[in-house]
Amino acid sequence: MAAPIFPPGVSARQFDLATAEFARAIGSEWVLTTDADRDSYADFFSFDGRTHLASGALAPITTEEVRELVRIAGKFRIPLWPISRGKNLGYGAAAPLLSGSMVLDLSRMKKIEVDVANGTVLVEPGVGFYDLYDYLQQHKIPLWLSVPGNSWGSVAGNALDRGVGYTTYGDHTSRICGMEVVLPDGDLVRTGMGAMHDAPTWQLYRYGFGPAWDQMFVQSNFGVVTKLGLWLMPEPESLRGFDMEFDRPEDLEWVVDVIAPLRRSGTLQQSPSIGNWLRAASALTTRKDWYDKPGALPDSVIDAIRKRFNIGWWSVNVRFYGDAEVTAAAEKVVLKAFAGRPVLSQKNASWTRGQPREQTAWTGVPVTLALQNANWHGGRGGHIGFSPVMPANGRLALEQFHRTYSRYQEYGMDYHASFAFGERHITNVNQVLFDKDDVAMLGRVQQFFHALVNDATAQHYGEYRTHIEFMDLVAGTYDFNHAALRRLNERVKNALDPHGILAPGKSGIWPSAYAKERGNA
Amino acid sequence: MRNLVVIAILTCASGAAFATDTPPESAPAAGPGRDLFAEKCGMCHRSTGMGTGLLSRRYPKGQEQLEARTNLSAAFVTTVVRHGLNNMPALSRAEVSDPQLTRIASYLARGNQ
Repeated sequence: MAAPIFPPGVSARQFDLATAEFARAIGSEWVLTTDADRDSYADFFSFDGRTHLASGALAPITTEEVRELVRIAGKFRIPLWPISRGKNLGYGAAAPLLSGSMVLDLSRMKKIEVDVANGTVLVEPGVGFYDLYDYLQQHKIPLWLSVPGNSWGSVAGNALDRGVGYTTYGDHTSRICGMEVVLPDGDLVRTGMGAMHDAPTWQLYRYGFGPAWDQMFVQSNFGVVTKLGLWLMPEPESLRGFDMEFDRPEDLEWVVDVIAPLRRSGTLQQSPSIGNWLRAASALTTRKDWYDKPGALPDSVIDAIRKRFNIGWWSVNVRFYGDAEVTAAAEKVVLKAFAGRPVLSQKNASWTRGQPREQTAWTGVPVTLALQNANWHGGRGGHIGFSPVMPANGRLALEQFHRTYSRYQEYGMDYHASFAFGERHITNVNQVLFDKDDVAMLGRVQQFFHALVNDATAQHYGEYRTHIEFMDLVAGTYDFNHAALRRLNERVKNALDPHGILAPGKSGIWPSAYAKERGNA
Repeated sequence: MRNLVVIAILTCASGAAFATDTPPESAPAAGPGRDLFAEKCGMCHRSTGMGTGLLSRRYPKGQEQLEARTNLSAAFVTTVVRHGLNNMPALSRAEVSDPQLTRIASYLARGNQ
């Protein structure tokens, strides 16, 4: 039996008293404190499994139970780490940032309320993309999801961590409309129009009256979101689009400059992502099938893999959704912008209402196949994400590529990245893939990640999301006026959560009660 | 979706086609174990899932789908679910309770008599 883990400053007796009270609130079977329980909340894909360990977990099923657990946690000073379904893979999954925290596992909360006429849904945190997809299919509701590349996780959790998908509704956090939130003292608030009892507009108008708080509870530790409203895309009449491959790394520059103005103008409503060859290949093969030496793959091996699977150095998938006349016209305009450019290959996609849907993220169907990339090294794979935000500019994108690619080669890692468009920006999503059985490689990951962050910071590019191990590092790069934003966040945190019980350290926000843990957790 | 009909899918850029999201023909009629398997495991372990994709690299055709296997024991299934294996993370008792896991494990071990 492993030694028990307790929160900092909490004695075994205090912990036992707390767990007894937790059990009275939700039933002892949902207070999970065995060794196996603790292990099941560890970050399975981490490069260091000895860190960020939970003391146990609590699994409520109602908002009232959440409120009671939060009150008890405050009484006994037990830090809680809320998770929706714990599938934030690459960013820490279910593991708490502060070791000894109890995971507040909301995966049993699975209520779904769909407003078919208005195209909205109200979900509890445990509702996964597969759950909601199945619900819509079983009830023959003509609404489409936007799903992330790994759709194992929670609909609400993904939107709350600013996850993205591949349809016109792909900026998930921008589609949030109304929340129900348990505050650190157990109080319950509904945001937007939900502040009015039984308002029929809770999921229709975001702002309500006065300050609007939805984004305050995104990537934060100011409350526990127990219900989240989201807009869903009405099933379109048609879908059109194309997949393009490009031959050279340098093609990135012109591809970005072709797409960016179309995205800004709104001709292109979907947010395409330009991915490198390994994004595609890592779901199809493993490294050891091609190369058995350490260090980044040489160009000759990359060329052989590309040839075998007929993939470009970069690829992009562009889609249009809506009435047939509109999608056809928009596609024509976008293809005209690519005319005369060195496109390696092009494959068209089309769908009309009534046809079976292609099972991909571009049609809003949940998928997990992309998770195969963690197996790139074979055996026990792991991965973490590095995702700086930068302007949608071809020259800057190419410079970012060269800079980052050099770091991958310096640290002997295989480059796996994409440049994902927003309306005005690009997020350079990097997957750092590693072999959990390669001690030397694991030893390089920390330093490699720090180098990537330092390089991005030198360009004044900040990450939009990061792994729990690096939240202090990334928060520290937001440095305007002596880290004024962090100071504001912590003033809010201390006002709402004086005991610091909710997710201390999340997004670099440390309550006074745990201030000494900054940089050490 | 975990019970839908056959539809081929395309990976990001490869053009490689995968098969369906339906249970294999050898799967028995609907029952509590099978329904729970679909709900809790189907996203990765039916035909369009990460688990099936990875197992297809190590097992003969047909054996990559857990529902078609005849060599799974309930104890093995339980251990893998609770501790993880290779690319598969462990699942907590909140996500799959012990009674639910017992039914899933019995379902997957039904061919191993």
